[in-house]
Amino acid sequence: MTEEVPAFNIIEVHALTKVFNHEIRAVDGVTFNVGKGEILGFLGPNGAGKTTTLNMLSTLLKPTSGNATVNGHRIDEEPDEVRRSVGYVFQDPTLDIELTGRENLDFHGRLYHLNRTLRRQRIEEMLDIVQLQERADDLVKTYSGGMKRRLEIARGLLHHPEVLFLDEPTLGLDPQTRRSIWEHIHYLNQEKEVTIILTTHYTEEADYLCGRILIIDFGKIVALDTPQALKAQLKGDVVSLTFESAAMIPRIHPLLEKKNWIRRINAVSNTTNQSSIGNMMHTNQPTAGSPGIRNDPHRTKSATSTVKQTNMTNHPPTAKQLNLLVDDGGHRIPNIVKLADEAAVVLESVELHKPTLDDVFISATGRNLRDQRGSFMDMIRRHRIMRQARGRPTPG
Amino acid sequence: MVQPLSSQAIYVVLLRELKRYWRAKARIVSSVAQSFFFLIVFGLGLGRFVGGVSGVSYLTYLAPGIIGMGLLFGSVFSGVSVLFDRQFGFMKEMLVAPVSRTSIILGKILGGAVTASIQGVILLTVSGLMGAFELTPTLILGAFTAVGVMLLITAGLVGLGVAIGSTLNDFHAFQLLSTFVIWPLFMLSGVFFPIDVVPLPLQIAMLCDPMFYGVELLRWCLLGEGTAMLGPFGWVISLGVLFGFMALIVSVATYLFSRVQV
Ligand SMILES: Nc1ncnc2c1ncn2[C@@H]1O[C@H](COP(=O)(O)OP(=O)(O)OP(=O)(O)O)[C@@H](O)[C@H]1O
Ligand SMILES: [Mg+2]
Repeated sequence: MTEEVPAFNIIEVHALTKVFNHEIRAVDGVTFNVGKGEILGFLGPNGAGKTTTLNMLSTLLKPTSGNATVNGHRIDEEPDEVRRSVGYVFQDPTLDIELTGRENLDFHGRLYHLNRTLRRQRIEEMLDIVQLQERADDLVKTYSGGMKRRLEIARGLLHHPEVLFLDEPTLGLDPQTRRSIWEHIHYLNQEKEVTIILTTHYTEEADYLCGRILIIDFGKIVALDTPQALKAQLKGDVVSLTFESAAMIPRIHPLLEKKNWIRRINAVSNTTNQSSIGNMMHTNQPTAGSPGIRNDPHRTKSATSTVKQTNMTNHPPTAKQLNLLVDDGGHRIPNIVKLADEAAVVLESVELHKPTLDDVFISATGRNLRDQRGSFMDMIRRHRIMRQARGRPTPG
Repeated sequence: MVQPLSSQAIYVVLLRELKRYWRAKARIVSSVAQSFFFLIVFGLGLGRFVGGVSGVSYLTYLAPGIIGMGLLFGSVFSGVSVLFDRQFGFMKEMLVAPVSRTSIILGKILGGAVTASIQGVILLTVSGLMGAFELTPTLILGAFTAVGVMLLITAGLVGLGVAIGSTLNDFHAFQLLSTFVIWPLFMLSGVFFPIDVVPLPLQIAMLCDPMFYGVELLRWCLLGEGTAMLGPFGWVISLGVLFGFMALIVSVATYLFSRVQV
């Protein structure tokens, strides 16, 4: 995907800040621009401030300070103009389930002042795109989670917005549906020239769709660039070391720090690191590192033969894993194993791969993207969305 | 901030209320059944001992008040559904659209008033079939006036519901709402007895209840002046109070709704 230089900035954000209840700095002085026709991805863990940023840009929330313009209109001065330019597919469900799919779309069309003929035409067009024609006249409460999500996306596009905000558009969807939504997002951007901001936890999604990626953490921007450039910043290979216990890390850390061929060391607090996609290797099979194969379905994680599987240790609160950024990682693995022996620490596994966006994230924040740092309520809500998406009734 | 009104937006929110009302058949049936039980038990049962009130049978005396009860429950619930819209997310869809919040809330209030008044007309018919009213030309004229009165009463009450639904943040307060708002409004509205039979403090309390004037007006429309309690100009006073209540509460509701954060 080659990105053309955008003609002009359709979104300009300056020092945007939102403080909840005088203490939670959900968004903290964020400044960035989005060019016309761009797809910008917000990547960040739970509670990073992604949704809050979108809520401010769509005028649903008033910023505590700072400002922004969308399609040339200031969010504080011309909220109606801003809203007319924006389509917003919310993270949480926002359909009226007592209405039919078609009625939900019709309601939206009227709210956006489309006349009758235009409304009819667009509704047919959108139903066609998200493949809901057959179910259009059924009540939404009879839809599956994926169908609801598709209807929400169709609704957000109905008025042909200049700018589209997609807040975790594919959360909880099956791989096929996710794929088809990706294709559709791509189509909208290419054919209809819709500028898109998309939030996600999925680095594959960000990598595939986004021209640029903004990594946000604790309400602050920690990186903003093209996926290629972000990954290129981490030259070399990532070697992930998982130890038997967290207590071993302080013993090996000083030894690793002395080696000049290790360019960066990050402790990763998530013990079940699913994000690093690459080949798993055992310490007793130090083959040459294969370049990061993405989405390898066969990757397994097992303890080495030399390492005794200890009984379930109680989960240590601290890191069990270190990620090393290393030049020519494949050849360094024997050295690393030797160092582990010197320090008398037990390695559970060693993994080698090319830097991915997850590594970029870890390197920028010291934490794994999949860490659950959101509030308890965020977790409950997320659980609810996932359940709904899988078509199960929610309690309460 | 200037809030331009959009008739299209008002209409579409109103339309949604109508559709939802019509589809919630269980709600319609249960509300009619509830009023029916009240009329049977109190009108026919208790009526045997009470005899007549103000020159009409007890059933007849009771009917406008029971209609008022249906209006009260229906419209406050309709207004409070703002809270449901907020909790179930649909409110965001409305708030992010390029229409003013005032339009949304007026649509909501109008929709609630229309649906609750439809409910009122159903109850009017049911009580008519039960023999509460004699079918005369005066009654038919009065019934039409009564529909206007219903719209006025319910607009205020939906506004009350909207104000509450915009302020509350969860469903836990629902029990409180029912105990401390809906039931007092109902109990003090003079459904069961004329105001002059109770002690002065209770009379004052009843005079503070907007529903009292609503029921008073409905009696005036449907039963004629004979049963009115506020003297020959009772209807003017009642109409004035209801208008004032409606205007005040709709402004308060609009203000509170404008501050709602998603
Ligand atoms: N209305 C609110 N009142 C108080 N705090 C809030 C409110 N909305 C969000 N927050 C807090 O602001 C922070 C950022 O929340 P936000 O929803 O923007 O995160 P996010 O990046 O979208 O996370 P997720 O990936 O879980 O959707 C969180 O700590 C959250 O608890
Ligand atoms: Mg979010």
